[in-house]
Amino acid sequence: MKKISLAALALWIIACLWGCGASDAPSKQDGFAFTYNAVQITPGAQAEAALEALGKPKSYTEEPSCAFDGMDKTYYYGSFYLSTYPLEGKDYVLRIWLADDSVATAEGIRIGSGQGEVEKAYGAACFNGSNAFVSTKGDTRLTVILEDGAVTTILYEAIVQ
Amino acid sequence: MKKVKFAVALGAAFIVLILLQMLLVPKYMLHSQEGALIGEYYDNAGSNDVIFIGDCEVYENFSPITLWEKYGITSYIRGSAQQTIWQSYYLLEETLRYETPKVVVFNVLSMKYDTPESTGSQSRREAYNRMTLDTMRWSSSKWNAIRASMTQEEKEKEALLTYIFPILRYHDRWSRLTREDLTYWFGRDTVSHNGYLMQAGIKPFQAAFQEPPLADYSFGENSWNYLEKMRCLCEKRGVQLVLIKAPSLSPVWWEQWDAQIEEYAKQHNLLYINMLDHQREIGLDWTTDTYDAGLHLNVYGAEKASAWLGKLLADKCHVPDRRDDETLAAAWSEKAARYYEQKRRLENEKN
Repeated sequence: MKKISLAALALWIIACLWGCGASDAPSKQDGFAFTYNAVQITPGAQAEAALEALGKPKSYTEEPSCAFDGMDKTYYYGSFYLSTYPLEGKDYVLRIWLADDSVATAEGIRIGSGQGEVEKAYGAACFNGSNAFVSTKGDTRLTVILEDGAVTTILYEAIVQ
Repeated sequence: MKKVKFAVALGAAFIVLILLQMLLVPKYMLHSQEGALIGEYYDNAGSNDVIFIGDCEVYENFSPITLWEKYGITSYIRGSAQQTIWQSYYLLEETLRYETPKVVVFNVLSMKYDTPESTGSQSRREAYNRMTLDTMRWSSSKWNAIRASMTQEEKEKEALLTYIFPILRYHDRWSRLTREDLTYWFGRDTVSHNGYLMQAGIKPFQAAFQEPPLADYSFGENSWNYLEKMRCLCEKRGVQLVLIKAPSLSPVWWEQWDAQIEEYAKQHNLLYINMLDHQREIGLDWTTDTYDAGLHLNVYGAEKASAWLGKLLADKCHVPDRRDDETLAAAWSEKAARYYEQKRRLENEKN
């Protein structure tokens, strides 16, 4: 009995040392995506291909995260900002923030669109009751903020698990 | 005789497990030193008139050595990377078991996070949790801090046990052990200066950090609840709670957030100082006083921020000057010597 107990303990130690960690890779589900000059940018997806296709940004800033390697990066392309976050040595799209009315969502909503247009595009159920439409699809979120009845901010974000 | 042998074997197995655990847990000595900060407090507990509580904006932006040298203020920073407000509360609760400071300074940036999930990636949150919780000594405060901090994913995995027996969390590090793990297997160095993590690099601020507006600027119920708990605990223990927003340019501290804290402070007669509004008085120069383009101050900026805040703590909060106390003066003289030695070393490495 005692030998069995010791053997069980030894097995437990081996099991402890043998185990493997869970993967941190973002899940791949369909979600909102922003398209610019035929380049599709999906929150939560690896950023490398999109960044290459988009070319040189107008400006670029980066921020280290406390205690971890890697940088949160923001690229500005004139009409939108694209932010990335690092994970296991690769950059993933965190957010796309539309900055002017020269770009629009796939549903045609742009800075300056009216509340009615947003409601028609995304449904009144998405309205947060005060100033924004917030809609989630897969692991992405689309936020449309209005001021005085007109859209002032459009934001695509990855819901990082 | 068999019983004795069994007991010996069991004892030996237990010791092996403990030794393995000590080997496998991250040491935070050469990389991610932030993980060592919380555990360094216990050797310095007991004689601090000011305790700072909060995230990187306290352990990077304030230097207790400067507070001592300029105003004779004894202080300790109980800061850790991305410390959440529920962790701050339980660290405060724990600290008050060791000492009763005159003032607790709490950095309010963490009010923006209402739940563990709201801080971002759950795996990263879990890593931050470990940096704050693993080196906390066992008490009901640690237990409650763990329970409040666990992410949904951790709860689903029933990870509570891994905080009690960290080997269950770190067992898979065996294949990634480095020289650091062997060097610090049985003992650690001190990486901070009373909780201050020194940086001497310079990376000037270049462009304003762009953050999109929020759909809702209201702080969450959980955040308010823990701030209120901190206030009540301080009140009960006769400690003055001072709220600050440290002078870091990112993440953005929205004016809507500022207004909510200002209102709360006014309601409860607390001192609230948004140091971003006093950058000129502090003398901050963002071309020389930051090591990461404005997120945190380097040692030169931290000394300026501490000199400015120290005067306020002495004048408005009447924190006493202890420089006449010979025992304290001797202890702080040693701390200062270590501080300047590291400062010189970092400056030499830079040049």
